[in-house]
Amino acid sequence: MGASAASAQLAPEHVRARSPHGAAAAIGRRAFADGRVRTFSFATLLAFIAYVNVSGYAHSFPTLHDRLTFVRSFGDDASVRLFYGQPYDLLHVGGYVAWRVGGTGALFAAAWGVLAAVRALRAEEDAGRWELLLAGAVRRRDAYLAALAGIGAGWLVLWAGLWLGCVGGGLAAGGSAYFALAALTPALAFAGIGALASQLAPSRRVALELGMVALAVFFVLRVVADTSSGAGWLRWATPLGWAEEARAFADPRPLVLLAPLAATAALLWAAGAIALRRDVGSGLLREHDRRAPRTRLLSSPTAQALRGERGSLIGWLVGVGFFAFVIGVISTTFQTARLSESIRRELARFGASLLTPSGILGFYFLFFMLAISLFACAQVVAARREEAGQQLETLLSLPLGRRRWLAGRLAIAIGGSAALALLAALLAWAGARSQGAHVSLADMLGAGANCLPTVLLFLGLSVLALGAWPRATTGIAYGLVSLAFVWQLFGSALGAPSWLLGVSPFHHVGLVPAQQFKALGAVLMCALAAVALVAAFALFERRDLTGE
Amino acid sequence: MEAICAEGLTKHYGTTRALEALDLRVAPGEVYGYLGPNGAGKTTTIRLLLGLHRPTSGRAALFGTDAWRDPVAAHRRVAYVAGEPFLWPSLTSAETFEFLARVRGSVDEPYRRELVERFRVDPDKKVRALSKGNRQKVQLVAAFASRAELLILDEPTAGLDPLMEVAFRETVHEAKERGQTIFLSSHILSEVEAVCDRVGILRGGRLVDEGTLEQLRHLSAHTVEVTFDGPVPRLPELAGVDVAPAGESALRLEVSGPLRPLLAALAELPVVALTSREPSLEEIFLHHYDVSDGRVGG
Repeated sequence: MGASAASAQLAPEHVRARSPHGAAAAIGRRAFADGRVRTFSFATLLAFIAYVNVSGYAHSFPTLHDRLTFVRSFGDDASVRLFYGQPYDLLHVGGYVAWRVGGTGALFAAAWGVLAAVRALRAEEDAGRWELLLAGAVRRRDAYLAALAGIGAGWLVLWAGLWLGCVGGGLAAGGSAYFALAALTPALAFAGIGALASQLAPSRRVALELGMVALAVFFVLRVVADTSSGAGWLRWATPLGWAEEARAFADPRPLVLLAPLAATAALLWAAGAIALRRDVGSGLLREHDRRAPRTRLLSSPTAQALRGERGSLIGWLVGVGFFAFVIGVISTTFQTARLSESIRRELARFGASLLTPSGILGFYFLFFMLAISLFACAQVVAARREEAGQQLETLLSLPLGRRRWLAGRLAIAIGGSAALALLAALLAWAGARSQGAHVSLADMLGAGANCLPTVLLFLGLSVLALGAWPRATTGIAYGLVSLAFVWQLFGSALGAPSWLLGVSPFHHVGLVPAQQFKALGAVLMCALAAVALVAAFALFERRDLTGE
Repeated sequence: MEAICAEGLTKHYGTTRALEALDLRVAPGEVYGYLGPNGAGKTTTIRLLLGLHRPTSGRAALFGTDAWRDPVAAHRRVAYVAGEPFLWPSLTSAETFEFLARVRGSVDEPYRRELVERFRVDPDKKVRALSKGNRQKVQLVAAFASRAELLILDEPTAGLDPLMEVAFRETVHEAKERGQTIFLSSHILSEVEAVCDRVGILRGGRLVDEGTLEQLRHLSAHTVEVTFDGPVPRLPELAGVDVAPAGESALRLEVSGPLRPLLAALAELPVVALTSREPSLEEIFLHHYDVSDGRVGG
């Protein structure tokens, strides 16, 4: 008796076969839907930033003379290239946008690629859902390809967002399409890296770490290529460099895009080959599942949380320390060419002169403020994860109060933030001093300390989210920081009135050491943070513990 | 003072009525079986008892201390085994024991070693690599080794193999001999029947029956099976007796109330065999869930 005849007998009449590709389609839709909040937020952000830069360019640099001066000074500065990358044509709006939006956009797109791939592949497997799917009527290969298709659909959303932002601002549709493609190719290559990491790593966490280390390495390669003379060839060694070499709006070289496409295909092929051969639930890298007990950092929930966050804290310290030193070193390289009046106005928007090392440092500490705020949010998200995973239920059934548990988590966030701020200050100072710049250690320590009120405010708001809307903690925490920062950078280019700009906490910080410390803003932020924390504790103590 | 005391304990999640006006008293030294199918409100009850969720109304106390108001004091005398054995994936079993013991502040180490042997826990293996049953064993060892006065166990044997089920019962008996109180939520009737002094049956968020097994049996129907010589004769209508055929020449009768009228009626008939037995817990349980109607309460 054939299998189909047997199943026809076993299953009653009304059990109809859905489409033969039903399982794969469902997996693809799931992969897309899982990341939709992140994808659509990022796409909206890309659209907004592109739009603001397109429409702001003509306003900031009305004449050719303005643009030429800008090219000679600002655009050629190493500290600016560090984040934005290599400019090819700053005399036209397209080239300017490709540089200003493309460089950082490519970096964040790369991070998106890693996250999307690890989420769709390794996280699903970690949670045991992949096993469930593969037990259904779907081949491994089709399941893998379907998950990739889900990621691909997310990528198209990003592409559409960036394209719409450019076209909405007034750039040509064709050129914008090419630019969006070029700027977002790193997302594809890094999705490949994330897919490969998902096959190698035995867990979601390790896969993410592998992916992020790869991103850090390729970013450093791009930074070296863009900031050191004679190292431009290094751009060919990193997907972030390929995005630059595509030279959108300046000197388009579409053939360059074959490099990321080929790399993506090779990575996905390799990942797929491993995925088809290995056991479900394992990784190629074996993790040691047995070890003699290590009893350090087990004395309290706080110690144990620190034990869990140790790796991530070290990663943050290394990353922030490295960039602080680099920024210190290049803070002296600014070309002091003559600047036109309109460029002065443009720079004044940042609130500081970028002509001196302390000006550059003050400006860049705004980014450290952002980074450390994100670190603090990540700590709140980790606390939330302990609750969502129900480990907190086990802890709180012991003689341990909620307040003590949450206070311990806060102590780690605040202590870690202070350590990061201090390290950034010390290494930026060391970097600047190594180039003979006149920057005092006290000033730099002030710049570090100046980060903390903002960090505390975002920490307070994240904990408030944990207390009031636990399931939305992650989105609220990261969302508020990102929105506030983007609004501070680009809100003024939209011509927003000052009271509206003032909703961003970043608007109220003095760019120490270039500017005075703004005591009022700092005190207000600390006070708001305190209110948020008090409310958060009260809410957290009164609510039910909440799972996923 | 009762180990567990709940008065009018009620919990609504939005429009879902998870628990309605629960009154519950568990005396020290008692092993209390808390029975109910999935979704009846067992885990909700436990979370309210432990002060992990906030009662909509009513109150719950462990040894006289309200666990919502003062969880730290209440939990000093309590150990809990959660229904879902989520622990810290990166810790080994031994590290988990150490961590939980330190947070609790006390542990009986020799007994823990004994339990690790008994439950065959591999102390050096990371929780991440353990199956659900093995993670459950880690929770059980940690809870029993605490020697807490009250053990609250939420479906503790889900995922355990029969050998470990035996080890679990042995450990419960030990705890009982020591005078520890045990609150055992379960839907495994044989387990509850084997270890519990008193049983509460939960249905749709309400406690529908409670008592010792004897009391519950007394209230429920006896099952009488009668075999006749030849085809089944006509039986007179009797109050409190449900009749069901059990083959060509046999009947199964569910008798609630006294047996005497039935025996009198049967005396006139050609009976060749007659068995009478008390209802099993399963029958009591099913009786409360109206399975004949295909309905599971609430």
